[in-house]
Amino acid sequence: MAIVTLDQVTYRYPHTPQPALRNLSLEVNEGEFVAVIGANGAGKSTLCYTITGFVPHFFRGEMSGEVTVAGLATRQQTLDELMLVAGLVFQNPSNQISGAKFTVYEEIAFGLENLGVPPAEMRPRIDRVMALTGITAFADRSPYALSGGQQQRVALASILVMEPKVLVLDEPTSQLDPIGSREVFETIRAMSKQGMTVIMAEHKLEWVATFADRVIALADGGIILNGPPAEVLTSPLLNEHHIGQTRYTAVARLAQTAQLWPVAKPLPVTLDDAEAGFRTVLGAG
Amino acid sequence: MADQLSLYVDRASPLHRLNPLTKLVLSFSLVLIGFLGPGYWLPTILFVGILIPLSFWGNIGNEFLQRAVRLILPLVLFLFVMQSLFYPGGRTVLVRIWIISLKLESIQFAYLTATRILNMVGAFLLLLLSTHPSTLMTDLTRRGLPPALTYILVSTLQIIPQMRNKANTIIDAQRSRGLETQGSVWARIGALFPLVGPLVFGSLVDVEERAIAIEARAFKAKRVKTSLREVPDSTLQRQVRWGLGLLTLVLIGIGLWR
Amino acid sequence: MSFSERLKEDFSTMTLVLIPVAIAINVVIGQIVSLLKLPVYLDSIGTVLVGVLAGPWAGALTGTLSNIVWGLTIDPNAFPWFPVAFFIGLTAGICARYGLFKTWWKVVITGIIIAFVAAIISAFINVWLYGGITASGSSFLTAYLLASGRGVIESVLATNFIFEPIDKVATSLLAWFIIKGLSVRYISRFPRAENV
Repeated sequence: MAIVTLDQVTYRYPHTPQPALRNLSLEVNEGEFVAVIGANGAGKSTLCYTITGFVPHFFRGEMSGEVTVAGLATRQQTLDELMLVAGLVFQNPSNQISGAKFTVYEEIAFGLENLGVPPAEMRPRIDRVMALTGITAFADRSPYALSGGQQQRVALASILVMEPKVLVLDEPTSQLDPIGSREVFETIRAMSKQGMTVIMAEHKLEWVATFADRVIALADGGIILNGPPAEVLTSPLLNEHHIGQTRYTAVARLAQTAQLWPVAKPLPVTLDDAEAGFRTVLGAG
Repeated sequence: MADQLSLYVDRASPLHRLNPLTKLVLSFSLVLIGFLGPGYWLPTILFVGILIPLSFWGNIGNEFLQRAVRLILPLVLFLFVMQSLFYPGGRTVLVRIWIISLKLESIQFAYLTATRILNMVGAFLLLLLSTHPSTLMTDLTRRGLPPALTYILVSTLQIIPQMRNKANTIIDAQRSRGLETQGSVWARIGALFPLVGPLVFGSLVDVEERAIAIEARAFKAKRVKTSLREVPDSTLQRQVRWGLGLLTLVLIGIGLWR
Repeated sequence: MSFSERLKEDFSTMTLVLIPVAIAINVVIGQIVSLLKLPVYLDSIGTVLVGVLAGPWAGALTGTLSNIVWGLTIDPNAFPWFPVAFFIGLTAGICARYGLFKTWWKVVITGIIIAFVAAIISAFINVWLYGGITASGSSFLTAYLLASGRGVIESVLATNFIFEPIDKVATSLLAWFIIKGLSVRYISRFPRAENV
């Protein structure tokens, strides 16, 4: 059951000659975890904004094609109506602190206050989401007094508490250290396991390989690959479009040139695949 | 470096528990009566007879007096000197030094202005020391203050310390190079640009993402916003507020009529 | 477009987020400049910026709030001058509305207009604050100059009429430079982008 549909979407930012998305069509099913990869400027962020309605409502510009999220047509709805069904988390943790509240607890409540949720209903929702993201201990702290990873989890919690049907993340860990990244990824994975539809633009291909059900590769505003991680992440097209590969794939490719890995054998994308593959290939017990 | 821009002192007191609007009405009443009400000694009476006792009732007496003195003293001294010396309505000369003469009426006028300002600053100081900004904002928003304004006020309170911290790093860097006091005017300005520039541009560029972030929290929703915290109010306080308003009008009337 | 509609457009989300940043810029630059003992203030760059990008009323609000913040944190003597800050923002917005922020020399003119308006409003406040100054020309002038905190010799030399315009012209030019340093794509997000 498709919960997000893009149909022949072309979009051009104002004052920009080239379109950022060209005739892009995409379907995401409910509960899927879709990763979006691509070089810088390929259109990942624009895609995230388009699914959540910031394109066209915030950015204006020229758009053709239709986008539907949880039954709502994004071009016809207002942005705040769309925020009920789609949540957006992006790269910079401190830019996502609203500044309107003095404590983390109230910061998370901010979205609920804007949506007119009754106070009695707010507290259990906030408590639940804080437990989920592991930030219960920060409830009374100022959001400004947290580390990047902690702030990003607050941002995530603030969006999750609004109970969107689709969670869109634009490179949520690119400004975090490894520990912060892990914390954020684990939380997102937990949400996905609970049935949340997740669409995540990401550079860290190892994580993509581990978490995603499906991977979409973008180049020049269009989709060049669309399939399971093992298939997409090993495609030669990635190199052509400067997208890179997982380190496990890289090692196996090296092993291929050294005649250690058969050319016909599928390349690994995760640690487990690599381990199993090399065990077989090297004939170790 | 303070990471919050707020005068609030957290104590348990009846003053703290009062509804913020009550305190706000009180402050405005005191200010208006002080400036427009009848009587030469009125501002003094208001400050000594109402503000100071209230501050002690609120367990913030010491802080109140300290802050009031620190805030007001320079201004008052300056005012005193200026008006005593230059207020042209004076006639009774008390002292004459060279071409400057100290006149009685000037001193009287200076005292009145000084106590009026002391009264005004004290009234708002009382409010700010005993009311947490978010409590004040929540209550005012509930009563109809546009959420946009609330957002601007609270966000300003939080962003200033952030930027000042970053700027202090810049100032320290300047100091360690001795550029603050040495170097020509142009050298000082020139060394500043590459440091202040990124700060200014960085914070401006962030505006776009931060706008997206608050829209992602449905800030522009047309619904009636609710509030997590409840700020208590009472009928008695409502009556007191109306009473204060009425009293203010009466006293201003008397003052203007005189 | 009706007034309230225009107002709503001026106070877009971008404007709401910009205003606190502009206030912070005012306070921070103003403080740095005063610590460096430079003969200008430069504490209204943010105010002018908002006036140009988001309209006169947003600019006026920015100025007023900056003044209050300055009074609360740095120098309470600044409080009575909030109308000056209000009118700096308002004037910048109005000048920009009439195309006076498009080229550098027009920006200089804007700076001079702002200085003029600021001087008049300041004079009124000084009269009100220091009370009962007679309408006689020289005593008015001297009292105003003295009361605005300048030394006696400076005041007598009427340098106020040199430093104030320099400050406001520099402020306007710096605001203009900042705008020029931001991408067209970015500026076009603001409600009054057509002003530049």
